[in-house]
Parts: sequence; C-alpha cells; structure tokens
Amino acid sequence: MSAEEPPQNPNDTPSLERRVTRAGRHVGDRYVRIVRPIGSGLRGHGGHYVATEQTMAASGRLGRAWQGALGVLIGKRLHSEAEAEERVGVETGLPILASDNISSSAYATEEAMRILAIAGAGALIFTMPIALAVVFVLAIVVLSESRVIRAYPNGGGSYLVARENHGVIAGLVAASALLIDYVLTVAVSTAAGIAAISSFAPELHPFRVPIGVGLIALLGVGNLRGVREAGIAFAAPTYAYIVGMAAILLIGLGRVYVGAIPPIAQPPHPFDPVGTAPLTVLLILRAFASGSVGLTGSEAIANGVPSFKKPEARNAVITLLLMGSIFASIFLGLTFLATQLGIAPDADEIETVNSMLTRTIVGATSPLYFFVQFSTAIILLLAANTGFTGFPRLASVLANDRFMPRHFADMGSRLAFNTGIIVLGVLAAIILTAFGGSVNALVPLYTIGVFLAFTLSQSGLVRRWWRLRNKGWRASIAINALGTVVTGTVLVVVAVTKFQLGAWMVLLLIPLIVALLYAINRHYTNVQDALVITGGEQRLPILGAPAVIVPVARIDRAGLQALAFARSVSPDVKAVHVSTSTESANEFQRRWQRLGTDIPLDIVESPFRSLVAPLLKYIDAIDKSDDRPITVVLSEFVPRHWWEWFLHSQTAMRLKASLLFRPNTIVIDVPYHSSDTGDLAPGPPLDSAH
Amino acid sequence: MQPKRVLVALAGTSADPDVIRLVASIAKPARASVIGIHVIEVRWNLPLDAVMEPELDRGEQLLESAKKVADQVGISLETELLQAREAAAAIIDTAVERKCDLIVVAMPFRKRLGRVYIGRTVQNVYVNAPCAVLAYRQEQNA
Repeated sequence: MSAEEPPQNPNDTPSLERRVTRAGRHVGDRYVRIVRPIGSGLRGHGGHYVATEQTMAASGRLGRAWQGALGVLIGKRLHSEAEAEERVGVETGLPILASDNISSSAYATEEAMRILAIAGAGALIFTMPIALAVVFVLAIVVLSESRVIRAYPNGGGSYLVARENHGVIAGLVAASALLIDYVLTVAVSTAAGIAAISSFAPELHPFRVPIGVGLIALLGVGNLRGVREAGIAFAAPTYAYIVGMAAILLIGLGRVYVGAIPPIAQPPHPFDPVGTAPLTVLLILRAFASGSVGLTGSEAIANGVPSFKKPEARNAVITLLLMGSIFASIFLGLTFLATQLGIAPDADEIETVNSMLTRTIVGATSPLYFFVQFSTAIILLLAANTGFTGFPRLASVLANDRFMPRHFADMGSRLAFNTGIIVLGVLAAIILTAFGGSVNALVPLYTIGVFLAFTLSQSGLVRRWWRLRNKGWRASIAINALGTVVTGTVLVVVAVTKFQLGAWMVLLLIPLIVALLYAINRHYTNVQDALVITGGEQRLPILGAPAVIVPVARIDRAGLQALAFARSVSPDVKAVHVSTSTESANEFQRRWQRLGTDIPLDIVESPFRSLVAPLLKYIDAIDKSDDRPITVVLSEFVPRHWWEWFLHSQTAMRLKASLLFRPNTIVIDVPYHSSDTGDLAPGPPLDSAH
Repeated sequence: MQPKRVLVALAGTSADPDVIRLVASIAKPARASVIGIHVIEVRWNLPLDAVMEPELDRGEQLLESAKKVADQVGISLETELLQAREAAAAIIDTAVERKCDLIVVAMPFRKRLGRVYIGRTVQNVYVNAPCAVLAYRQEQNA
C-alpha cells in the first residue's frame, strides 16, 4: 500500500477490492482508484472470485524448479472446461481401451499351448478347438457388454450393474475383482512385453524386473499427462501391431495354401515331446482357462464409456465390436498357423510362440520379423495402459460412492485421476517384482477377477430386463442369460484349474478388499452423520468467549504477540510457563511482573525436565474445571530459512501435534516470522534472545 | 533530468513493453520509483464506480504483463487501476497526487486520413500535465 492511500479501517472485513473516489484537480475530474492485489491471480468482484492459473505458480526457487520439472514431465495444467476435449473418438479409444484385449492375441495361443505341452507334443492338436471356444466366449461377452454399455452409458461397468441389480455387496465384489484384475493387467502386460523383447534380445532376460518397473513408471507418467495425450502416444504402436500381424497372417496363410512351408523354428528349450503328465479333461480345461486370458480387457470399454466423445454409448459399442473382431482374427489366425506349422512353446519362456511363428514365416533377418516383434512388445506394454485407464476411473466411481478414499475422485492438473494412476503403478510394480517378472507365474492370478465381474454384471442385467420389461426385453434376457452361463462356466473352470497355481490368492483377496471398501464406506457414513446439519441447526450457534491458555516459554516478541492475540479473542486469558527449576521459575515470575500485564500467570515446575507432558496435564486440569472449550494459543517462531528449523526445539510443533486429537480443544498457532515487527513497539529487552 | 518518481500510463497496446523498457533505462540510473497505471474510461451513461468486469480483467491482465516486463528489465513496478470519465485527467491527477516528476505515455503508430494520429489522451496529458511528459511513439513497423 502506498503512503498516500487512505488507511483501511481496522474494523473493516478484509476484502480483495477497495474503491476509493478521488476528487481530481478540476470539477468533473473525479476518478475511482481501484485497489486490487495485482498479481494475486484472483479475478472477479463482489465476493465471487475465480482463481486463475497464476495462483498455482510456486513462489520459491525450489517450488518453481519442481513445478518446471512437473510441467516437462506431465505437461501444462488444464482448465476444467478442457475435460470435453480430453475425450476420445473410436480411432483413439481403440488403442486406449482395447489394447489390452487386442494384445492378448499375442500370447493367448502360447498360454494354452504351454499347458497342453505338459501332456506332450501330440496334445497341441487341441489348441485350435480351444481357440475356437475362447472366441465363442468372446463373442458372447462382446454381445453382452454392448448391452451393459447401452443400459449404463455413464460407465461404471460391472460394479454399477451388479450394485444396482444385486445389491451393494455384489457390486463391491465386482469392483474388487476388477481392481485386482487391472493391477494384474499392468503386471502381466509388462511382463509379456518384456518377454517379447527378450525373444530377440535374450541378454535382457535377467534384467526383466527392473526394466518392467521402469516401464510401469513410464506408463504411469504417460497417463498422468491425460487420457487424450496418452491415447495419441499409444495409437501408432497399436495400429502398427495390427498391420504387422495382418501381414504375417496373410503371408503365413499364403504359404500354407501353396504348400511353401519353410523350416520350422525350434524353441531354445522345448517341452518333453512325450509329456510329463497324462492328457486329462482337467488339463484341457486348464489350457482353455489359460487361453481365456485373451478375454481380459473387454470390460474396460464398458467401464470407460464416459471417456468417449458424444454419442458416448455408440462410440463405445463400435470400439467394442472392432476390438472383438480384431482379437478374434489375430488369435484364430495365429493359432491356426502355429498348429499347422507345428510350432511348440519354449519351456523357459525365452522365445515366444509368436516370435517363432514370425521367424518361420518371414525369416529371422527379415525387417518384418523385427517390426512384428517390436510392435508386439510395444502393444503388450501398452496393454498395461488399459489398466491405467480402467483402475483410476473405477476407483473414482467407488470414491464418489464413498467406498474408496476421496483422493481417488480428485482430478489432477491434466484432468487425470492421479491418485489412482500412482497407486496402480506402485501395486503393479510390487506384484511384478514379487513374481520375478514371469508371465507364466502371473497368468494364473489373472482372468478370475474379470470373469467374476462379467458373471455378476451379466446376471445383473438379466434381473434388470426382467424388472423393467421394456421393448425387446426377451431378447436382452436371452443374450445376458447366455452370457451369465458362459462367463460363469469359464469362471468356475478358471477358479478350479488355477486354484493351486495362485488363483487362491485372488479368491482370498476379493473378500478382504470388499471388507476394506465396506469399512471405508462405514467411516464416511459415520463422519457424515456426525457432520450433517439437521433442520433445527440451520443457524450459526452463538458461543461465549472461550477460556484461553497461552503457554509462554520466554517473554519475547513471539510470546507477547501470542498474548496480545489471545487477549483480542477473549477476556479470559491465562498464561502458563513450564519451568525446569525453582530458580528459573522465580526468575520468570520476576520478569512477568516487570511486564506489567494483568494476564494471570501459572507456573508449572517440571523437575524431570519434560515440557510437553506437564503442560498437557495442566490443560486437562483446566478443562475439567471449565465447561467451555479450551483454546490454546501457541506462539511459534518461524525462522527465515528452512535449515534454521533444526536450530530450534519446535516445542510449539510438538504441543500442536499432542493437542491435535484432544477433544474439546481449539489450537491457535500464532507464527512469529523473524521479519515480523507487527504493532509491538521495540523497547528494552525483557528476556534473553532466542 | 534525474526523476525521482515516474508515472507510466499503460493502455494495453503493443507499445507497453517498449515503454517499460524505456522507463527502466531512465529510472534505473536515477534510482527512481515507477508507478504503472491503467485508466478505464467510464461512459457517461454509467456511474463512475460502475463495475465493468471485462475492462477490469483486461486492466489487471495488462498490469500483470507490465509487472512481468518490469521484473525482466530489473525495475520494481507499482501498479494501479483507475476508473475515470477521461483518462488524461486521471493520469495527471494521479501524477500530481503521487508527486511524480515525469509522466511517460505511449502510443502505437497509427494513421488516420493519411496522417500520424495522436490520440486525445496523449495530447491532453502533454498539454495539461504540470510535470515533465515524455511521449513515446512506436516505430512504424512495430
């Protein structure tokens, strides 16, 4: 404020804008001086202000550096109105939400073959029938999920369908299953991506865990930049994979058709050709369960309908159909060629079936081989992105329903759900590390969650159609009932066949997560019950002046400022000083008398030299003798530099922490900055310096 | 001339950054304080203290931009937003009230009817200010 400006009345309510009319030198020259804090970053008037981007600008050097680094890493902060622009169309939605499912075609054949190979090379003949069964299930799932999208165009997917039609517990079971599955999607896809890379660069195989963790971090950062930008970055590799696989399938099918079959690539470490176990129905079912891994990711589109541009439901259904068609074509084509050419899986997972097949068809030195392997590796990594899209969105829906902490519903600077993205990244990295980055070890945990969610949502829709009985309800019930039966059967098969291999962990985790989500909801409900204002409480309660206690360590400017503030709050102020000896207590008493204040002083002697504990007991004693809430005014010296904090004992901070959870207590912190002089006129020193 | 306090009138034109740099070259050696003002002219059919939100926003933005330029050239710029019937009178009155010994006004290069046009605000400040006035006209191709 300049010296010439009229002083603000101390009784005025603080305001961001003051208007002062000045007379001017001539008649008619009156003008209005608008006193606004230029540079505050707040725009508006009359009590309604809008915070601009400027308010977010860091002031310190460190803060600015951190903000600059964040800007480079995740991009410029976006306005809330840009949310609509962050939505995606079919062409971008396909790589974002369908890359998981499409990429599954790269390893679904191998997963089924690896189980069959246990029974010997002859058992691999069942690979094609299993692939056909998986595609049949996928067709049912796609058809059923398109009904979910139409019925619930606001997203939420299986969780919302199950909750609305089966009740909260069923909804939470579906949500828990999906949350687990999204974490596993990231871990499995990353592991599979690294397996594809190590197929043509085997020297990277021992480093698969650190590489995987690094890639998860990279994906996390990509997603923190926002859905649209992540989609743009991930679109090219997805389409490259589709084109590469189409080329391989066309060349391969052509060669099979004309009979020009080249020498078959052999795995570095083949399975025992005779087999180590008999071919049983259970083994075939296990192979089917492993092949069903290719069905994962098809629920992401139904969960992420709001990510699409308008008309959201239509775009989502188109994307779903495209996804199903692309997956089925690649998966069936690869399986057909692998069985026709007699490709066998590698026991040590060093080279993938996909790699051996491509090597057989176009040769190990062909640029197309490298193109296909590289695009496969990239799309497998990007498949993890489906988890990064689905998990945060589902977590935000759960957080809005108060089943998860509120932070999961908060949008970050790029309109992404940052907490969900970070939590997912950390969990996936832990799981990847715990399982040594092995696809084979992770896959048994996979798919249970997604089939549980599918079954709950399909059966939920059956109930919905039955209840609503609107136009075409019979056809809808038939489709979703078939979906329930098929996905339920697959769920049982997967759960039984993979139980001992690790599926038990998921089955154990689901009820634990449900219990956790339920407990979180109960907490929020209790908090709301405690805080909600009833009709009779609509007025501000009138409180009397509080009883104020001011702990005073020294008689200095910080202490005087706290006492002065306490006096401005209430006439009923008491100062308390904790002294470690009788001599220092007497000395403090003398100084207090010299101060000449009418504020009464209590001195607590603490011969065991503890400051905080006796003070807390003193506050307890005062509290018992007074019905009013106790207000503790703390004076806190704030040093100029952060490193000077270590030179001070931080008693106020410790006291604040101790009083934080004390009921019936109001804690007021009066900071004294080393540059403050306030209204305290400098006088002769009353006490030694800090 | 060694001014002690300089008042620079900012209109939100492309000449503003130039004039701040010019003022910096004068104020820095003289260790003069610099006040940047923007006057919102209020039409006669409105009360003088009418809240004109778009103009206020524009004024704030241009003063913020001016502060940034001043920071870059190493001077401290105190800013002020005014509302008046006529900008020139408010500029002069503020200069008098704040005891400024130099007013700097700026104008972009403009032509009307084939002749270089100097707006009425610059003309009025030039003619009526009791202190020194420096009028900066931007070059033709700026």
